[in-house]
Amino acid sequence: MNLAMMRSFAIIVLLCAAGGWTQLRAQISVQGGNPLLSVTTGTAGAQPVAVTNTSTSLRFRRQTVITKITVSTSCPGQRFSLAVLATNLTYGVAAPQVTLLNGMPATDFILNLPTNGTLNKTCTLLYTASATFAQGNSTELGNDVHAVTYTLVAQ
Amino acid sequence: MAVFLMFGTARAQVYGTAGHTVTVQVSVITSVRVTVGTVNLNISSANVVAGQNLMSVTDQSTSLLWGTNSSLRKVSVSTSLAAPKFTLQLLALNPTAGNAAAQVTLSTTAQDFLLNIGRSSGSCTLQYTGSALASQGTGNDVHVITFTVATQ
Repeated sequence: MNLAMMRSFAIIVLLCAAGGWTQLRAQISVQGGNPLLSVTTGTAGAQPVAVTNTSTSLRFRRQTVITKITVSTSCPGQRFSLAVLATNLTYGVAAPQVTLLNGMPATDFILNLPTNGTLNKTCTLLYTASATFAQGNSTELGNDVHAVTYTLVAQ
Repeated sequence: MAVFLMFGTARAQVYGTAGHTVTVQVSVITSVRVTVGTVNLNISSANVVAGQNLMSVTDQSTSLLWGTNSSLRKVSVSTSLAAPKFTLQLLALNPTAGNAAAQVTLSTTAQDFLLNIGRSSGSCTLQYTGSALASQGTGNDVHVITFTVATQ
């Protein structure tokens, strides 16, 4: 192995280490992947039955100032309804359930995250999907695919 | 003297962002039901007009409820009774969505009852009319009525 090769190898190792460190130091992350909510039943004379999903969670780090988390979504051509609520929150205050609408401004999701307590904090993401009969179905219209973004900011 | 003015908007410090994809899928959902399971139409002496052979009685005590999230749908109706002795007719009254078809004389062949109900949730009153000729005598017809949401 010549000098140039050793130098390249060292650079690659450093880059990998830096990436891993950045990942470890992520201030906020979503755990549990990408949930699918399926509305499958309905009542004659009423509406389809809403469904919920709690398979994902949010993990975020304590900061040196009081912080909050906002939520927004991008879902071009949105047809159905989706809302999210922070549950099982041990620090901070959950905002009321947020209705996710395509192109919405960042909306308060968790408030008053303190500067003390455990370094890493979590909450469960409670998603609720609903639709009316008048809104149609995915077979004819396609699914709603939301790119949901959570942002940790100073409050 | 030079004066420098700086304008800007205060932005809260961002410590990080994270996201994921959330998919909402809505299946084809169709539901239909009647509010009461049994309707009795009893033609008695009270329904007889002297000199007229035709006697009839109506009932509006039940309703049909439906929900469908598919487009271009209708409700059809049929009866299980292949050879009724008397005549039974049905009409949708005051549908909250769609359009009532003309009064149907029930048979084992499905016939249009409500049209243009696609992607709606609604209800209508079921107006049954039973009729008999005095010359047909007495007896009972027992119908099992089936309502079906179908492609229009």
